[in-house]
Amino acid sequence: MLEWLIENNVVCHALEAMIFASIACSILGVIISRMRLSSIGFTMSHAAFAGAALGMFLGANTQMAAIAFSMAVAALIGPVSDKAKMAADATLGVLFAMSMAVAIFLISYMEYMGKGLSASSLLFGDVVSLYREEIYALAAVCGLTIIFVLAFYKEISALMFNMKIAEAAGVRVKLVYYILLFIIALSVALSLNIVGGLLIFVLLVTPASIAGQFCFNVRSMFIVAPTVALFVSAFGVWAGFEFTLPVAPLVALLLTGVFALSVMLSFKRRINTKIH
Amino acid sequence: MSIVELKGIYTAYEGGEKAVIKDLSLRVERGEYVVIGGPNSAGKTTLLESINGLIKITHGSASVCGLNVSSQADEVRRRVGYVIQNFYFDPFTPFTVEQVVMMGRFGRLGLMNRPGRADYDAAQRAISLVGIEDLAHKTIGTCSGGQQQKAMIAHNIAKEPEVMMLDEPFSNLDFVAREYLQGVFKRMVRTGVPILMVAHAFDGLPDIPIHLVVMNQGRISYDRNCRAEEVEGIIRKECGVSENARVADRK
Ligand SMILES: Nc1ncnc2c1ncn2[C@@H]1O[C@H](COP(=O)(O)OP(=O)(O)OP(=O)(O)O)[C@@H](O)[C@H]1O
Ligand SMILES: [Mg+2]
Repeated sequence: MLEWLIENNVVCHALEAMIFASIACSILGVIISRMRLSSIGFTMSHAAFAGAALGMFLGANTQMAAIAFSMAVAALIGPVSDKAKMAADATLGVLFAMSMAVAIFLISYMEYMGKGLSASSLLFGDVVSLYREEIYALAAVCGLTIIFVLAFYKEISALMFNMKIAEAAGVRVKLVYYILLFIIALSVALSLNIVGGLLIFVLLVTPASIAGQFCFNVRSMFIVAPTVALFVSAFGVWAGFEFTLPVAPLVALLLTGVFALSVMLSFKRRINTKIH
Repeated sequence: MSIVELKGIYTAYEGGEKAVIKDLSLRVERGEYVVIGGPNSAGKTTLLESINGLIKITHGSASVCGLNVSSQADEVRRRVGYVIQNFYFDPFTPFTVEQVVMMGRFGRLGLMNRPGRADYDAAQRAISLVGIEDLAHKTIGTCSGGQQQKAMIAHNIAKEPEVMMLDEPFSNLDFVAREYLQGVFKRMVRTGVPILMVAHAFDGLPDIPIHLVVMNQGRISYDRNCRAEEVEGIIRKECGVSENARVADRK
């Protein structure tokens, strides 16, 4: 898509993938960090990781397996936390541990059987070997995320305000919550190859936290978070290729740096000492 | 048909050992002012949440506005206002009072529909009715407890409900606000909207016939009309009697 701008195909694909992943994840991050559900990021990324390991084990398409597995986990989160009346956080913790166990079990088993596989691309991501189809899929998910937020903007903001009050107002909380879980599963599973299971969390949480330092309303958060994520990750891709540095960790560190800076500069945290 | 009609309902919390509400029946008509009294943990909040379907009833039947609460809970909640007893909004909550009041309209608007002129007007009317115009652009988490309570009342007035339920709505309000809002609720009752109010303090009740419901350990022990000034005495008597009964039981 950006071939007109960048000649090198590899760099071009990496940039596109990084942009789509960071926009989708940072928008979803605004929602889940406000709902105190950031651990969804943990759980989903490890579910995708476990799915990919399962795919390798079965000799199937790892990406498809990652999507299927995280969809399955998404389908479990809602009902399990409904049924068990546990805090969603506890459910997420249990599912996270389960995913990790599946992944480690399979990887260790394969090593033991001498079918050693490289899990490192799943853990750390690999921006240099992306297929065109993966990028299209990411673009589609990015579009889906934006459409979701625009179409359900009023329901999403009610959910971000207070679940119980939203429900009492007659908002269809459950429906919107489930759609949200599925879109997160999809975005995370597709971003796995790019930033890796360990760094997706950064894309979900950090841009939202940066926006939270400056924004007083939800609308501006939905604009600031993806914008920051977009520029930082584009810069990260450029710097990574220019100075031959690993791209995904570089983006993660850059975002963390911006976060630190924004905490220091945030006027929301400033106390006016001139008031008497 | 009564606007709220409960027949022999039971409600239990998951993991709870006993039903919190037991074999409870209640009818509320249009234009009634219902006061629900009773000691802590009598099941008053649970009763309100059974009426709008936030908690599922396990036995019996509940109908509100002619809808079956068990199967049409979303639709019931769209028509029933409910000011909840406890809430906490952290100081960084990114919504203004005006936006929170507007959210009262979201359920009845339905999925995907955007608020229109009528919704903005209803929200503005509710804000000026409750008298919080000066807070409209303040973020809700930075308001005082009483201001937040007023915002939640305005949120439910903006909803233009067919039934209004309030769970100790005055717990944080000064007496001026209490008296003023009682006047607002009295006018709602005149237009036919029944009020169901859980309360522990009864000063400033409107001088209209009160439908008094006293709850004790998940059951209704008093369900009759009375005058505003009789409310406190009856509740004292009802709760005292049951206290004696419990002591007698133990012996
Ligand atoms: N979420 C819950 N899970 C389990 N039990 C609950 C839950 N909420 C309330 N209960 C129990 O149900 C009973 C009734 O509680 P409820 O909140 O309805 O009382 P109440 O009459 O509103 O009391 P108060 O005047 O203190 O508000 C109490 O014994 C309480 O322990
Ligand atoms: Mg209560």
